Amino acid sequence: MFNFDWLSSVSQETAKMIFLSLYGVIGILVLLLPTEYVYEGIAKEDRRWWNNLKLWSLSVLAILASIYYHF
Amino acid sequence: MLAGIDYFIVIAYIIGMLLLGLYFKKFVNSSEDYFLGGKSLPFWAIGMSIVVSDIGALDFVGVSGQAYRYGISVGNFDWVGSVPAMLLAAFIFIPYFWRGGMYTIPEYLGRRYNQKVRTIASVTWILFFALDLGVLFWASAVLLNVLMGWPIWISIISTAGVVGLYTYFGGITAVIMTDVVQFFIMFIGGFALVFLSLYEVGGWDSMVDKIATMGPEYRNHFDIIQPQDTKSPFPWTGILFGLTFVMANAYMIGNQSIVQRCLTAKNEWHAKASMIFGSALKMFIPILVLFPGLMAVVVHPGLADGDQALPLMIKSILPPGLVGLMFAAFFAGLMSSVDSLLNSTATLFTKDIYEPFIKKGADDKHYLKVGQITTLVLLVIGVVTSPISSDFPGIYVAIQTFMSYFQGPLFAILLLGIFWKRTTEWGGLSALVIGIGFAIFLNVFKEEFFTIEDPFLYISWWSFLLGVIINVSVSLLTKKHTDEQLEGLVFSSKILVKNKKL
Repeated sequence: MFNFDWLSSVSQETAKMIFLSLYGVIGILVLLLPTEYVYEGIAKEDRRWWNNLKLWSLSVLAILASIYYHF
Repeated sequence: MLAGIDYFIVIAYIIGMLLLGLYFKKFVNSSEDYFLGGKSLPFWAIGMSIVVSDIGALDFVGVSGQAYRYGISVGNFDWVGSVPAMLLAAFIFIPYFWRGGMYTIPEYLGRRYNQKVRTIASVTWILFFALDLGVLFWASAVLLNVLMGWPIWISIISTAGVVGLYTYFGGITAVIMTDVVQFFIMFIGGFALVFLSLYEVGGWDSMVDKIATMGPEYRNHFDIIQPQDTKSPFPWTGILFGLTFVMANAYMIGNQSIVQRCLTAKNEWHAKASMIFGSALKMFIPILVLFPGLMAVVVHPGLADGDQALPLMIKSILPPGLVGLMFAAFFAGLMSSVDSLLNSTATLFTKDIYEPFIKKGADDKHYLKVGQITTLVLLVIGVVTSPISSDFPGIYVAIQTFMSYFQGPLFAILLLGIFWKRTTEWGGLSALVIGIGFAIFLNVFKEEFFTIEDPFLYISWWSFLLGVIINVSVSLLTKKHTDEQLEGLVFSSKILVKNKKL
């Protein structure tokens, strides 16, 4: 049990899909964050699209997913 | 091995760091300036500092060596083992810590659970950091001696002198801003080695083709996901459960030296952005530290010790000048690790031990002085105890291993503390103590329980799981905290929709 033998039948390809799905779930959770919350700390009049931390996070996740897809 | 130009680069780097660090002395007028940089720092500096303080001189060699032996799966530690945890920290934990005006992670645990949990967590961190300092000095100095022929005591004294001076006077602002320069030195030195190595092996595709023909032991070298029954320490089950779910989160959310940097941000947006920016930079780290090890498989095949891969690549690939830059990058790795240990330990001691137990209610200048003196004392302890490591060759690994066993239970109480209102002080305390005990038990009897080479990922997961079970069970049997006690300490959707108010 301690060695996760019960997951030995899961192939490497399936395992890779689990990781990619995880990034997808995290991406959806990031999208669900209220926009107001990700801008908190910047005055309303100074907010620009490049301050949107959702975009930053989704970009990072997209690069990460592409690394795992490729390798 | 060093040419004249290399010595010039290294010495210029050391003097430059000293002058830059001392420049920030003028910004330190209070304990908040010293420990939290006056809450004035920008996200980009903090993000770079988080990344650079996470790579030591030893990691360059160690990770390259593991890449030589096990292939690209070592990159999991900086990819899936960092990015999701940093996003979780950025959007959930850091805003709580930042809005709460906290200085330390144990301070949160003290408010959420009780003073005992705070003290246990803080003392554990202080002991670990203090022990690690001497060991880190010695191990890094030996490495620099082997790589470059640089005398051991010159490495230790020059690092201690420079880092000690700027950390003593400039506090965390000096630590973070010198880290920014160290970041560029590391990246320029590291990428120079990667590009020249790639040229040497004939490009990426050529390297992959050559390694593929080298035998069955290299079959999985370019698989980031390793099978569950691999003999390497990185089966996908360990990477998912131990690393992604536990160790990465514990490190990014529960490690004082990481979180304290985010608390120096000038506002909440910068605090969150620093972690996300850091996660973007983190993705480049495997290129710097892992790729040279992979390329060494082609350039220097059949090495008995994988840790020889990087030194051999430096010797055979880099021209004079760039060797000095790479050496400066190793120094940068050592300095950024040492300054983080010094400042974080001084903060933990002053805020979690000295202020509540030794002298309550003193004026702010007094705590500033205590923080500075603690920095100095730690530095002296680190230098004086460093030769002890030569009598205990396995001590560096032993200390790192010990710390990894603290991570699972710590993350269990942090996670339940912030997400579950019903968690009580006794639940948290018992989970921490029993969880650490269980991790030590599994480590002692690891050959009976585990089949892989080094099961630290599995041990983290199981000790985390036991920590959760103990915390939930004991909490349900003990008196719950009142809403007033929990105000601002437990996750609420209000944080997402209402400004400022938790």
